[in-house]
Amino acid sequence: MLEFILADLRRNWIGAAALALLVALSTALSVAVILEERALRLGSARAAAPFDLVIGAPGSETQLVLSSIFLQPAPLPLLKDDILARLQADPRVAMAVPVGFGDSVGPFPVVGTLPEAIAMLGGLGEGKGFERPHSAIAGSAVTYPLGTTFQPNHGSPGQASAVHEDVLYRIEGRLAPTGTAWDRAILVPIESVWETHVHHDEGNEHGDGPHGLPAIIVKPGTIADAYQLRQEYRTDETLAVFPGEVLTRLYGTLGDVRGILVAMSIGTQIIVGAAILMIVAVHVLQRRRQIGALRAFGASRPIIFAIVWTEVTLVLGAGVLFGHGLGYFAAEFISDHLSNTAGISLPVEFRREDLLGLAATFLIAALATLLPAWAGCRQSPAEALRA
Amino acid sequence: MLKLEICGLEVRYPGLAQPALQIDRLTLEPGMRIALAGPSGSGKSTFIHMITGMDRPSTGSVKWGDTELSKLSERRRDQWRARNVGLVMQDFHLFPGMSAEANVLLPQRLARFGLREAPRRRALELLRRTGIERPEQPVETLSRGQMQRVAVARALVGNPKIIIADEPTASLDAGSGEAVAELLTELTADSGATILAATHDERLIRRMDKVLRLENGELVS
Repeated sequence: MLEFILADLRRNWIGAAALALLVALSTALSVAVILEERALRLGSARAAAPFDLVIGAPGSETQLVLSSIFLQPAPLPLLKDDILARLQADPRVAMAVPVGFGDSVGPFPVVGTLPEAIAMLGGLGEGKGFERPHSAIAGSAVTYPLGTTFQPNHGSPGQASAVHEDVLYRIEGRLAPTGTAWDRAILVPIESVWETHVHHDEGNEHGDGPHGLPAIIVKPGTIADAYQLRQEYRTDETLAVFPGEVLTRLYGTLGDVRGILVAMSIGTQIIVGAAILMIVAVHVLQRRRQIGALRAFGASRPIIFAIVWTEVTLVLGAGVLFGHGLGYFAAEFISDHLSNTAGISLPVEFRREDLLGLAATFLIAALATLLPAWAGCRQSPAEALRA
Repeated sequence: MLKLEICGLEVRYPGLAQPALQIDRLTLEPGMRIALAGPSGSGKSTFIHMITGMDRPSTGSVKWGDTELSKLSERRRDQWRARNVGLVMQDFHLFPGMSAEANVLLPQRLARFGLREAPRRRALELLRRTGIERPEQPVETLSRGQMQRVAVARALVGNPKIIIADEPTASLDAGSGEAVAELLTELTADSGATILAATHDERLIRRMDKVLRLENGELVS
């Protein structure tokens, strides 16, 4: 029986391959949507993991998180001068590092901070820390070698307006990879950023005049401390957020979008599936003389049913499997592209529950195939004798 | 070997006033060679459907040996046909993409799971006798005459007691038709099976013991 099925598939391989490809493409669409949404969720959660609590001036919570953790450039209101000192003196704070941004070199943002930030981000991979006033520490994804000197541009990557000619940094060390957007950042001492911007225009996000800061990242001593600090710093002057909290809200929106995309791709799958079943049923009816001949030779209805069912299920099953592979590679491709632009790694991974999805798709394909199989086995053996 | 007994057979199709086939009584002894002749529409195909169990008569009985076909379910008739009938058809009904040997063995393989050694040996022997030199040759590369010879080997491989041929030489040229007619009658005679061939081909009719003529669904000789 299998020999007959394989010979039949070999003979009709173009049609079979086209059907499998259709199934694969429609499966790949929904697989890619699911994997990519998950990658985005996992990747952003991992990227936010080292940052427990972010404190900024009152404004948009989302923008504060996007700017300080994902280093997405946007002008932020500035914190008052004394907040950093207050936090550093607070016994509930294990570490508080300022984040001063707005400069860049090439495609990489330059972030002013304190030496503690190195420890917070997991330590150095090579080289030295901030030993001199104009030392710079590169993130692991920054392509400049140690020893490179640069003058920062005023403005974020791609939007830089002028070069700060009065300062020259030298890359002395490199952070170990963190999987966060900070892998693409170049850290410099916050004091040097303030100095550079003393002469610059007033009121931008660097905190000119004299020491304003757009954000402070805080590592609290305990979880209880974290909640207390968050509570205490939600005032008229400051805004404290858990990045995880903001991300959860974003995921809610993302989840809705995913729901719509998944529904659309499932709709596509149903339409493609129905079209394929029609094609298969027509094909089976066109071959009623051949099927009739098999019946005439003594192949029973169950055997014909099994032949048609196995053959169509093999084609659809191959499409479903290939579609999962295709969806995975599409998600990988999109993730790679996004990682390069956003700087956070987006891990594409299958999970146990995806096996259920795969099994369900198989089951639906196998059940739907019962229809053409039934049409096939209804053929009369007498058909073979009709000229 | 099986004796055919037909009694009070009548086949009617909806919308037709006349029965498509009406045979009061017919007996064919085992091992006979019978030609079934008659113009198109005379009921030859219906007759073949009835005696092979592909269809059931409206009334009457078709009995091969002790088996009353008209009383068997479709499944049992399929099983009976697989065991007892070898079919040769005008359009060969070989399956491209498979070798000559695989085509010969296909009915055996579809009738039961697994294949004993004996049919394979017999398939090769039959292919040799029908002049197919390369059993592994894909059937679509054979000539029409060779294709029908493969179909003859396929009909005989299960040692059926009955061979039914429906216009076996009609789509062949004269030389190939003659060769197939000779092969069919010779190999069937060797196996002792009953052969019944619906045909217009005089060369094939001449090789038979008896000619049944059908006209308007009734036997006229």
